[in-house]
Amino acid sequence: MNRKMLGFALALLVPLSALAACGPTPVPTAAPVVVTKEVPVVVTATPAPTKPAKVFKVALILPSTMDDLAWSQSMYQGVKKVKEEMGPAMEFTVSENLYKIVDAGAAIRDYAGKGYDLVIAHGSQYQTVVRDIAREFPKTSFAYGTGFQTGPNIFAYDPQAQQGGYMLGMLAAGMTKSGKVGIVGPVKGGDAIKYNEGFKQGVAAINPKVIVLETYTGSFAEFVKAKEMAATHMDAGADVLTGTAQQSVSITKAAAERKGVYMLCSDMDQSKLAPDTVLASQIYQWDEVVRRMITLNKSGILGGERLVLDFSGGKLQLVYNPKLEGNIPKDLKDKVEKAKQDIISGKLEIKLP
Amino acid sequence: MVEQLLAQGFIIGVLATSIRLTAPMLFAALGEMFAERAGVLNLGVEGIMLMGAYFAFWASFTSESPWLGLVAGMAIGGLMGLGMAFISVNLRANQGISGIGIYLLGWGLSSLFFRLTFGAISGVAGFQPVNIPILSAIPVLGPVLFQHNVVVYIALLLVPLSYVVLFKTTFGLSLRAVGENPEAADTMGIQVYLIQYVCVILGGILAGLAGAFLTVGQMNMFVDNITAGRGFIAIALVYFGRWSPYGILAGSFLFSIVDALQMWMQVIGFGVPYEVLVMQPYILTVLVLALAVGRSGGPAALSKPYVRGGT
Repeated sequence: MNRKMLGFALALLVPLSALAACGPTPVPTAAPVVVTKEVPVVVTATPAPTKPAKVFKVALILPSTMDDLAWSQSMYQGVKKVKEEMGPAMEFTVSENLYKIVDAGAAIRDYAGKGYDLVIAHGSQYQTVVRDIAREFPKTSFAYGTGFQTGPNIFAYDPQAQQGGYMLGMLAAGMTKSGKVGIVGPVKGGDAIKYNEGFKQGVAAINPKVIVLETYTGSFAEFVKAKEMAATHMDAGADVLTGTAQQSVSITKAAAERKGVYMLCSDMDQSKLAPDTVLASQIYQWDEVVRRMITLNKSGILGGERLVLDFSGGKLQLVYNPKLEGNIPKDLKDKVEKAKQDIISGKLEIKLP
Repeated sequence: MVEQLLAQGFIIGVLATSIRLTAPMLFAALGEMFAERAGVLNLGVEGIMLMGAYFAFWASFTSESPWLGLVAGMAIGGLMGLGMAFISVNLRANQGISGIGIYLLGWGLSSLFFRLTFGAISGVAGFQPVNIPILSAIPVLGPVLFQHNVVVYIALLLVPLSYVVLFKTTFGLSLRAVGENPEAADTMGIQVYLIQYVCVILGGILAGLAGAFLTVGQMNMFVDNITAGRGFIAIALVYFGRWSPYGILAGSFLFSIVDALQMWMQVIGFGVPYEVLVMQPYILTVLVLALAVGRSGGPAALSKPYVRGGT
């Protein structure tokens, strides 16, 4: 091989090795337990061979990483919890960083072709690609969300993010001293827009005079810009911040670096990252959604159901940071609790434009 | 609305934010300028930045010293620059393709290392802003220029320093000769390969420093793909700045100021759809690059591997 060829081969090798590094990360499944039994000397009757229980195979496609402290991690933990319950009866594989629909499509098709029972594409952007592939694999269940359009073998999950957004908006309006609160959003769409809309209505419900500064970075993962934008909000006077998507860790970090600023999180509780800053969070309990899809699939229903995550089903929850919970006036906390009960009973419905 | 735009706080805010945004791009673009001036196009800046970002974070997390973080970021950057130099100078591989390879390698490895060593997002203290005595008290100019962390000043000082190295030293003359006409340089007794190695490694060190700035000077944490395309913007800025340090400074400051301006305009609620505001810096880059076409190009031997004694 001459030097040119060697160089070309090296250049090709390098991206390949990189792809391997960020490719699917197989989650170790429990090794099959081998029971060694003393073999009887005289065999009188051969026991009927037990048919091995079918292993339920789940694949998860994530737009970011499984440790992003937000959207992707919340789902990953949900599936992981179900996997821990089911043990060897379930196999679970994750593919990360498939934000681009074309890349995700290739992975979804690959898993379906390998005989996975349920392929979860965790993002609203995957709707069309899931619909196309689902037609080719009628025996496989597919799921995606945020969304509501289902198919014979497609589940859609739909978190009502505006509900928690409303409660956190109430908290923001009650806790701000400057009269300004800030939303650092990713893009105006999907889950984020529902959350932000609820948040603004919640602020108005407590104090319509509080000004909500609302900005978008134009990306889910522009971490540096999200942090600079959060700093801009604080320079402009905001003292309570919120925001969704994986870049929200940047907002939390920005808020934590200033005194007297609170952060309100959605998707995951980020209080471990900033214990003196994160006041409360709306968290997603995906495990129940995953469990439901597996149960339906096993009973022969491969799709067609829209799975709603909301407060009445307990799939959305509001958690306070125990360290800061005491800072919230009782009166305000009661109002938030009342709103929660009204949302659960259906008395209060947060309308989206 | 107009009053808000002209308010002193607004102007100070925009300028101060833009200087912070400029720093990482300055490091990366100045480094790339040296490599390209010596005839090597390194498209792997983004990947080197990611590696620099991770190693700087890891080192400052374990040692609790942001300075060691900077050193670690520069060290890994230099190492990756060495790799790039070997591929492009000795193996004479296609520089475009191998640069993309370096990028993907850096991205993959940095996120893999992060998962293996940390496993969860965490933070470091990082560099704190320093108020330069007296100067920082000057109205308007003080908060804009003299209340940043020390790495921002290093980035700004690097511009005149690079200018001196490039245009006032023998080394600068040699490297420009190598990038324009390596055969002639070789005839003059300049060690072409050595110069190219030094410049690509220097470019790697500065790209590593750019990544380190992101994690220990700006974000104070590491997340997967933290650079989000800044390495590629730095490469565009080298063209934008016509391969000169002051041109690069002007380009990166213009890009950052438009970015900072659109953030502030969103915050005060300008009534323009945010999508329009977010794309302003990129529209500007494309416009300037398009208008700059036709003017004298870059180094004549850019991205052409040099073969000693004929082709």
